Amino acid sequence: MTELLGRLGRWALEQLGAALRVSVLMVETVSWVVVAPLTGRGFRTRSSVEHFVEYGGRSLPIVGMICFLIGVIIALQASYTLDRFGANRYIADLVAVSALRELAPLMTAILIAGRCGSAITAEIGTMKVNEEIDALEVMGVSPLKYLVAPKFVAMVLAVPAVTALAMGIMIVGGWLSAVLVVGVETQVYISQTVGAIVEKDLLTGLVKSVFFGVAICWVGVYRGFQVEGGAEGVGRRTTSSVVTSIFLIICVDLVFTVLFYYL
Amino acid sequence: MAEKQPVIVVEDLVVAYDDNVVLDQINFSVEEGEIFVILGGSGSGKTTLLRNLVGLMRPRSGRILIRGKDFTAVSEDERTEMRRNMGMCFQSSALLGSISVADNVALPLREHTKLEESTIDIMTRIKLELVGLSGVENYLPSELSGGMRKRAGIARAMAMDPELIFYDEPSAGLDPIVAAGLDELIRTMQSTFNLTSVVVTHEMESVRIIADRICVLHRGRVAGIGTLDELEASDHPYIQQFFERRPDDADHENASYAQSLTGVE
Repeated sequence: MTELLGRLGRWALEQLGAALRVSVLMVETVSWVVVAPLTGRGFRTRSSVEHFVEYGGRSLPIVGMICFLIGVIIALQASYTLDRFGANRYIADLVAVSALRELAPLMTAILIAGRCGSAITAEIGTMKVNEEIDALEVMGVSPLKYLVAPKFVAMVLAVPAVTALAMGIMIVGGWLSAVLVVGVETQVYISQTVGAIVEKDLLTGLVKSVFFGVAICWVGVYRGFQVEGGAEGVGRRTTSSVVTSIFLIICVDLVFTVLFYYL
Repeated sequence: MAEKQPVIVVEDLVVAYDDNVVLDQINFSVEEGEIFVILGGSGSGKTTLLRNLVGLMRPRSGRILIRGKDFTAVSEDERTEMRRNMGMCFQSSALLGSISVADNVALPLREHTKLEESTIDIMTRIKLELVGLSGVENYLPSELSGGMRKRAGIARAMAMDPELIFYDEPSAGLDPIVAAGLDELIRTMQSTFNLTSVVVTHEMESVRIIADRICVLHRGRVAGIGTLDELEASDHPYIQQFFERRPDDADHENASYAQSLTGVE
């Protein structure tokens, strides 16, 4: 029993330590993003743009494809129930609201976590193994400024940007299957969609996705800096980076859903 | 004229991982313009010592004075400032793999100075020329041979014209000819720029060529400091063994190994 308590305590302390280190990392990164450019210590804009293209542009095909298919799927699944009540026109409402409030932000974040969060961990981890991080440090170049800050800005902008497009694509997917398979008229579908969406739905989705971006970037960076040993360490941390960031995305999602539920 | 102040003074340095003391009561100083070699076998703590000297690790106690300032106690900004006068060549050369050799050498210049891109370009070429690497500016580090990478690492360390340079195992993993070339380069750098150099190594061959003074580390303690001649005359058993390249007492080793396997006294 005492052993169990002891273990629990040690585990809790470890988690607390990890949380503390992540927070320090967060504060320092934000200071490199916000404070440093104002005090003339510079920000690597070009690198940030390159990363934005990588995280946003290159993710778009796969995110678009998946969100399109999910739109098709929800429309058909909705019809399965709604058809019995002769309420097929409400497919549009269901697709629009779930795309905006939940599915587009979530799918985008999960895909970008798998595609780019892992890449961030692998990059930083490999650099750590190769002493490249140490080399930056010795040159007096902060790895947070050189590596993390551009990625952070790119990620926080890329996730909402891709999410916004994913929302549209998902609605198009729903529309196609509703019109072609279920037999809803296009005009009805459009007017239902327009009637269903309120400003708040869009806002909910986009605000969430900004925080998803924050989570993906920080988990990726933190896991990257945790890498010890060699290639095996990189592999292990990369896997755990994806798992942790997906878990965190769901947690953030829950928090915001509860929050917006009461607002 | 006042007496020359040492560039680095290490006072009572103690470094430990948890309860495991890696370096115990290290004291030495490095004079201006000399090549100071830290010599030791594997696990003697020489790399740990170097990591402390460049501030990648914090010691448990003791001081490291660089030009009179305690490097272990200065603020982050001051540390960055002091690092502009220091260069380091890593064992694995540690060039950033995703950018070209020229960009690697230019990186400290781009980050620390507001020079025009054309000036940086010229300075980069000069530094690469200096280490005997011209014409490889646009290659990625992975496209270079081990020796060339080490040279590029030296060029990067020299980018800010430091007055103090550290080398971690410069000739490790290189063939004798390339290694000898690097030893010569270390000598040239020191004589041309009056560069104070600290070299960590275990290669006796290069020690004989480059060292002005040597500090021998053994099991985390200083076994002896002095010139090559002084140390060769030393009667410290470990120094003698190291210099004569004698293996540990084989019988004793085997016996204790067998004991550890069988558990029989």
